[in-house]
Amino acid sequence: MKPGIIKVLLVEDNPGDARLLRAFLEEIPNRELELRLAPRLQDALTTLDEAEFDIVITDLSLPDSNGLDGFKKLHAAAPKCPFIVLSGIDDESLALGAVREGAQDYLVKSRLDPHLLDRSIRYAIERNRAEDKLITSEAFYHSLVEHLPQNIFRKDLDERFTFANQRFCQLLGRPLEEIIGRTDFDFYPPSLASKYQQDDQYVISTGRPFEVTEENIAPNGEKMYVHVVKTPIRNAKGQVLGTQCIFWDITERKRFEEQLQLKNAQLATNAEALRRSHEELKAAQLQLIQAEKMESIGTLAAGVAHEVKNPLAILQMGVNYLGKKVGSTDENITMVLQEMRDAIQRADTITRGLLDFAASKKLNVTPHQLNSLIADTLKMVRHELSKKEINLVTEYADALPKVAVDRTQIQQVFVNLFVNAAHAMTGGGTLTVRTAARQMASTTLSEGSRSAERMWVGDTAVVAEVEDTGQGIPEENLARIFDPFFTTKPTGVGTGLGLPVSKKIIELHGGTIEIKNKPGGGGVRVTLLLKPAKETN
Amino acid sequence: MAKKRILLIDDEKSLTSLLKLNLEETGNYEVRVENWPEDSIKAAREFKPDLILLDIIMPRMPGGNVAAAIDSDPELKGTPIVFLTAAVRKQYVEDHEGIICDHPCLAKPATVEEVVAMIEQHARK
Repeated sequence: MKPGIIKVLLVEDNPGDARLLRAFLEEIPNRELELRLAPRLQDALTTLDEAEFDIVITDLSLPDSNGLDGFKKLHAAAPKCPFIVLSGIDDESLALGAVREGAQDYLVKSRLDPHLLDRSIRYAIERNRAEDKLITSEAFYHSLVEHLPQNIFRKDLDERFTFANQRFCQLLGRPLEEIIGRTDFDFYPPSLASKYQQDDQYVISTGRPFEVTEENIAPNGEKMYVHVVKTPIRNAKGQVLGTQCIFWDITERKRFEEQLQLKNAQLATNAEALRRSHEELKAAQLQLIQAEKMESIGTLAAGVAHEVKNPLAILQMGVNYLGKKVGSTDENITMVLQEMRDAIQRADTITRGLLDFAASKKLNVTPHQLNSLIADTLKMVRHELSKKEINLVTEYADALPKVAVDRTQIQQVFVNLFVNAAHAMTGGGTLTVRTAARQMASTTLSEGSRSAERMWVGDTAVVAEVEDTGQGIPEENLARIFDPFFTTKPTGVGTGLGLPVSKKIIELHGGTIEIKNKPGGGGVRVTLLLKPAKETN
Repeated sequence: MAKKRILLIDDEKSLTSLLKLNLEETGNYEVRVENWPEDSIKAAREFKPDLILLDIIMPRMPGGNVAAAIDSDPELKGTPIVFLTAAVRKQYVEDHEGIICDHPCLAKPATVEEVVAMIEQHARK
């Protein structure tokens, strides 16, 4: 009890009783009391209005009031103040009624003594304080549960609702009394209701909390995403008495999440697109650098070739002259002159190759039948093929679209390819030439070509394949076969310019050339892709 | 039979002297060499050639200009000209059936036989 003076209001109209009580109160040891006396109900109400008291001790029969009504009025005037009711021996039942109405205790006047009075006062004050605390705490939890934006309810072991907060009542669209005692099946579609009860049974059987995010359909048909937490209710012994659940609407959050995911996916797509365009840019740059390189090589080659040609012409003339003057008497001189002629011839072949390589990019493009172009070209190498005992197999596709090509240049390419194939089959073999029309499965991108011409996915390409049955190209050489001056042929046989020139010509036509060993080995397959000529009607 | 008169215009002295030797060796030609293209007209007027072998890439005055000057000269007009040059490829010449800029053309390096054949085909009889 708080130290200090206890303020007591004594409502008593009998001066003798009042005196007696005062005397008792003064006898209480270690307690300082401040006593105010109100002989009538009206006095008491006025006094309570003016000042606060730690306790009110009141007789129930007063001149201006008799019975419980007076008590009720007093209690209403000081609702937080503890009351002790005084009664006579014959009206104890009335005193009990006052206790039911909120009085802490009642004392029978005839049995009073200081000790009893002291104890009653002390208990009354203490009990009142405890009750006050309880009420405050209950009000706190009640307010919390009722005003939270979450839905809260409890169920017993038989799945009947035992409690629902306002929020949940609103959601179900029913007052509390229509919810208590009912089950999920009274409010939800059977599938949802049984699902909810399953979750409850999980909590009841395991005694563990259950948590889930799911779709909920309110009785008004409104769909929402909810986050649900269910926990067991236990008694003091730990036995599960039922379940309690709190759940709340996360539709908004879910929607944000979905948007976020969508945005994320878009971002990823954008990033992918960015990466792809970056790669394309890189490829284009590489292509440009390569083109630049090839162009300067070309310019250099043309310059060198031209400068070499005049000295070659002079040597040619000189050898010619000497040949005639010396005659054929001395074998050694004849041999030396012949070697010189051959050397000049070789140098001339290389310079010519260089000039081809550096050749002007102007194409004289007209529509041609690829099949007949190839057949004509094969005639040019017929001698070479039969000399090496090479069989020729041609598989021409019918109704091939015409190709837009510079006939002479493309013939040069095919000559190069046929001669290469012949060189690869020194011991004889089979040269297969095949044509076809094919849908492009990917877009071509040829490094080293500055031409913007490309074949795109879905375009029709005219394909020519040239296959030999030679030994194939060693892997380490495959990457270098288009490098100028790279050759594996003996000196004097190859210039190392045939394939670079061919590649350049094909790329100028917007086509591609691919050289691979045949799958399974045993030869090389060259694949040319050419653009069909545009239909002109 | 009178020897055909061939005027050889090329800035490359070694080539002209050797070609002259080779052509004269056949006994059929009288060859004059002019290594200075700007003196071509003067030389042609003096020499009155049956055919001019003309280089294209020459310093100061390209063969094309020399040919144009000869073609437009009243006295020299009609003189057969054969270009002998390293500037064109054999393939290119063949593709154009030997005619470049209205004149026959022979790509360097050419053998003496090729030059002789060209002369015999185009020179004034």
